[in-house]
Amino acid sequence: MTFDLNALQADYPLLFEGLLVTLRIVGYSIVFGAIGSVVLCMGKLSGKGPGYRVAVFIIDFFRTIPEVVLIFWVYSCLPLLFGLRMSAEVSGVVALSLFVAANVAEILRAGILSTDRGQLEAAFSLGTPVTTIWRRIVLPPALRRMLPNFVNFLTELLKASSLLSTIGVAEMVYQATVLGNETFAYLEFLTAVAVLYFLLIFPLSLYVRYAEGRHTKRISR
Amino acid sequence: MTLNAGSEVIRCTDVVKRFGDFLALDHVSTSVHAGEVVCVIGPSGSGKSTLLRTMNGLETIDSGEIDILNHRLPGPRRELETIRRRVGMVFQNFNLFNHMSVRDNLVLAPMSARKTPRAEADASAEKLLARVGIAEQIDKYPAQLSGGQQQRVAIARALAMQPEIMLFDEPTSALDPEMVNEVLDVMRDLARAGMTMVVVTHEMGFAREVGDRILFMADGQLLVDAPPETFFTAPSDERQKTFLSKVL
Amino acid sequence: MGLFDELIEASGGRYIRAGLTMLLVGAVVLGLLSVNWPIVKGLDFAVLWQFRWALLQGLVMTLLLTAAAAACGIFFGTLLAILTQVPFAPARWFAIGYVELFRNTPILVQVLWIHFALPLVSGVNTSAVVSGVIAIVLQASAYFGEIVRSGIRAVPPGYWEASDALGIPRTTRWRRVVLPPAFRIMIPPFVNMTISFFKASAILTVLQVGELMTVSTRIANAVFKPIEILTVAALIYFVFGYAISQSTHWLERSLAKREGR
Repeated sequence: MTFDLNALQADYPLLFEGLLVTLRIVGYSIVFGAIGSVVLCMGKLSGKGPGYRVAVFIIDFFRTIPEVVLIFWVYSCLPLLFGLRMSAEVSGVVALSLFVAANVAEILRAGILSTDRGQLEAAFSLGTPVTTIWRRIVLPPALRRMLPNFVNFLTELLKASSLLSTIGVAEMVYQATVLGNETFAYLEFLTAVAVLYFLLIFPLSLYVRYAEGRHTKRISR
Repeated sequence: MTLNAGSEVIRCTDVVKRFGDFLALDHVSTSVHAGEVVCVIGPSGSGKSTLLRTMNGLETIDSGEIDILNHRLPGPRRELETIRRRVGMVFQNFNLFNHMSVRDNLVLAPMSARKTPRAEADASAEKLLARVGIAEQIDKYPAQLSGGQQQRVAIARALAMQPEIMLFDEPTSALDPEMVNEVLDVMRDLARAGMTMVVVTHEMGFAREVGDRILFMADGQLLVDAPPETFFTAPSDERQKTFLSKVL
Repeated sequence: MGLFDELIEASGGRYIRAGLTMLLVGAVVLGLLSVNWPIVKGLDFAVLWQFRWALLQGLVMTLLLTAAAAACGIFFGTLLAILTQVPFAPARWFAIGYVELFRNTPILVQVLWIHFALPLVSGVNTSAVVSGVIAIVLQASAYFGEIVRSGIRAVPPGYWEASDALGIPRTTRWRRVVLPPAFRIMIPPFVNMTISFFKASAILTVLQVGELMTVSTRIANAVFKPIEILTVAALIYFVFGYAISQSTHWLERSLAKREGR
């Protein structure tokens, strides 16, 4: 058996449609997940009370259970429990949004808490108003420090989105397996999909490595 | 705003501070008057920095009383903020805002806390930087400056709030030896201009020359409170003698 | 009170907490109002007891896969990491290319490729379990290899120079000088990676390899009780995953004690 590029020729538009679905779902989950992450992060930073405890549990829970389990649960249990009708794609967005919210909340919290104590001491001792402390002293450097972590998580999210093929969302992997089943050209389609993912993810990984390398260099000096 | 010369601006009464089992401040009582320069010296771990940090509420206390500019600490949050605006602090590690230019370091607090207009804050920043001798560095970032220059920016930043009291927490300890003097010169000028200063320091020469009073601390206790001449020439306490024999 | 606590309180911590509590109450009320009560009343968790042995078997399979991924990952990962440091360039390129390939594609794609595409190339058909194990071990090697590689880079250069200066033989240098402190640094990322593979093992459900997720979906479909089975499966995953994540504290403490710190 050899690799037969002709097998791809007729059907590659479907793969690109799958790519668009992947990107669309990832985009929506980032938007909804980001909103959730800010609420969860505030909850965890607030330090005590019921909101704190629930936020900690939600963050731990959705960071610990496997993404497939989350996706299956949202797809097959949520509609039953609430008597809803949800398409596979909507289920996917809901599941990935929860995944994003929990993980990004943790990145935000860690980034904010890594603020140098001296910066806070100086800001306090000048009597700087609290809003200014957040807006000018805590958040800008914290967000810059977090950028590699965000990008790293984006690579995880892109990889996790492939799991939506298991509930029948017509993203890249789903298209590849369907085309594979039809034509038996598994080798060609699965390889093509692997290449597409690699092209999406590898540049992001390179950036993360570059940024983290710069960071360790700064620490060791 | 000027203070009546000689009026009491800081009073600490029976201040106790614990870190877990460690007694950092052991019933410390003292006071500082307007216009005075008080130098706090002692071995490391003696509680001198902790004492200084209680004076603007960066460190809370376990018992005792602290009154700054006629306000009891810790008061309500708003009051604490107001007190801190009237008390400047300079840190061992400068604690400049590294992501901001020197100018922004100086204008941030006046513009946000005092609602000083931009132009006025800028002009005052330029004047202060000229006063500490680094007017030409105004548009640089802290990382582009030497340690001595950074510490002078930090002093100027504290002065930008026009404080009535300045607290210095080992301001020259993190500096290379050749940069110590440029910072001490700025502090000397401040003292001459009549600023009320509390200085935690290891610079015995500076303490002797500029200080009105020397406080000696060891093991969380305030052991000696004396004028420099008496302090250095006629030590009264055993631990003070041991300490002086090591540093002089 | 720490500076951050002061910042949070000064930022209206009280109001944030009150707001979050209200949000929480609102969410619970909304949930209770919109939930499909007939379904909830009909929930029958006894079905779990009925299938307890099957579920237990699935859990054991999941834990075995996790252990295989961690053990093989650390072993082959270390070999790969050493390969990235050897002077022979093609070996280095192979190691780096391998790690990047597996780290930058989804494990699902790798699993499918190994099960459906690889036999077309190799001519050898592998069973689902074998494909699954191959995939998870190959990927674990890449990820653990990356951890080992950065762990080795974190060993102070003085260690290399000192062992060169002392004329310590190459294998002794690796075994006694470089790897022990490197592994010490790597413990937290190792534990995190083990959790990742604990989670990743559930992906093998696409090949039906008989781990917890496969068993759960099978039962859920057979008796049509997805809510009971999948919810409990999620909780089992959470409990075990959380336990692994907590083990890092314990590991660190016992290591620190041994080193007399």
